[in-house]
Amino acid sequence: MTQWISKLAQRLLLLAALAIVGALLCATMVRFAPGYGVDERDLDFRFSQASRDAIRNEQKLNGGIVRYYGSYFAGLVHGNLGTSTFLQRPIAGLLKERAPLTARAVVFGLATAWMAASALSLLTIRFQTWMLEYSATAMTGLLIALPTAVVALLCLYLRAPVFLGIAVITLPKLFRYQYNILAQAHAQPFVLAARARGVSSNRILFRHVIPVAWQPLMALLGISASMALGAAIPMEALSDSPGVGQLAWLAAINRDLPLLTSITLFVTLLTIGANFLAGALQEGRS
Amino acid sequence: MNAQRILRLFCRGTLLVIFALGLFAGSFTHYSYAHQFRELPNTAPSAAHLLGTDGLGRDLFTRIVYGTRVSLLLAPAAALLATILAAVLGGIAGLSGGWLEKIILASTDLSMSLPLLFVLIALRALLPLDVSPILSVVATFVVLGLLGWPASLRVVWAAAKHLRDSDHILLAQALGYRRSQILLRQVIPCLRPIFLAQFWISIPLFILTEATLSMLGLGVMEPLPSWGNLLRGSEDFSAIAANPWRLVPLVVLVLTVICFQFVFQSSEELA
Repeated sequence: MTQWISKLAQRLLLLAALAIVGALLCATMVRFAPGYGVDERDLDFRFSQASRDAIRNEQKLNGGIVRYYGSYFAGLVHGNLGTSTFLQRPIAGLLKERAPLTARAVVFGLATAWMAASALSLLTIRFQTWMLEYSATAMTGLLIALPTAVVALLCLYLRAPVFLGIAVITLPKLFRYQYNILAQAHAQPFVLAARARGVSSNRILFRHVIPVAWQPLMALLGISASMALGAAIPMEALSDSPGVGQLAWLAAINRDLPLLTSITLFVTLLTIGANFLAGALQEGRS
Repeated sequence: MNAQRILRLFCRGTLLVIFALGLFAGSFTHYSYAHQFRELPNTAPSAAHLLGTDGLGRDLFTRIVYGTRVSLLLAPAAALLATILAAVLGGIAGLSGGWLEKIILASTDLSMSLPLLFVLIALRALLPLDVSPILSVVATFVVLGLLGWPASLRVVWAAAKHLRDSDHILLAQALGYRRSQILLRQVIPCLRPIFLAQFWISIPLFILTEATLSMLGLGVMEPLPSWGNLLRGSEDFSAIAANPWRLVPLVVLVLTVICFQFVFQSSEELA
């Protein structure tokens, strides 16, 4: 138990360190991006020369690199992620507004993909008929061969909800991972011994294969969260769903780097959090 | 000859034909990919325009052939970059061990947990707005190559670590071979099939990612064609229903990725 708590504390420390490194990288990307420090008002000739000089002075005051990083981190600590240059609104507010929609779509999408992939891989391993194996491989192979944006368009065409699109994009990769893990566990000598002793196929699957495959399957949880979040961008962008994925796309199209880097930091922390949870579950189980 | 072998041969042949189509694009069509036949927008296939024209009157067959060149030549280049990065870092981690191994593996785990598309669009958006189409292609694939190494690194690391403890490396060390000799004569030849497999696996992944990026308007810039930006028009379902040949780029892309999947399956077996 003490060992588990120490590992948990280590992981939490790592998470905090990663958050700081991520924030530093984001701040650096914004600071050194082309166009940083250029104020549109400087090009507006309706402002007098004195006003433009005042704007330039203000830029100079805020321009020091140490001061810049200092103010960025101070803002982060207070929940201030800056202002979107494209939407002219506070980034924290935009994320707060849009995150629930994306979170719902990702959670439902992941749940659907996990259920479908698990059912398919368990059936394929349980019955081991070439027909089932080939059909599952062909279906997932075809889905993997389609760009995610095309799958998103197909879902849009079929008027499928965003979560279903995320599920369809995540399913084939998830199935392949799950199938490989289960097949590896199923090929173990003790499974062969159990079969030789006449143990039923269902009992072998649920008593011998799944418990062995459980740990690597848990590790998949974190990876699948990353896949689902990635799938949210084309899904939301193409189906005009006002979530974080669409916001990231709009920020990229409009070169709104403060917004884009904040979203990337937010999503990175979410995925690392999901990986952390998967790791903790894995360790708790072991 | 079994069915799987025949299928692999077919896939290799198909890939060869598609590669040749892209490489010798100029021999298959005499139009320019950017030339607009303004009096002929959205025409059906004909002898003059094998797959018709797009909304701007550009010959679709020409654009597919040149798009094949862009996608199929640059995706392997990006895969090569990613494989070299994975080989160097994975090799160092696997062969050296210790704190260096821990640092490299921790950074790999971090990179693997990042949603690739978010990082890609963030890096891609760092480029200025007025980049030339050629620069946009190079930037897209360089970014793909620079971000696509973590999964390959894990595989290379595992193989290198296994090799470090193997008998023949121990024997070479005992015989007094220099480290560079061991690396060049023992390690690299043993790891070559793994590098090759990782290279093949990365190509379809990069083709698909470029397609998604370009469909979102963040990849290869017009008028330069790529499979991804050729698919951008497919958002208009009524136009697709009226002109189904517009789906040819998608068919070529899917066929190529499936063929790569079959070819790299045999590379994996080799590894």
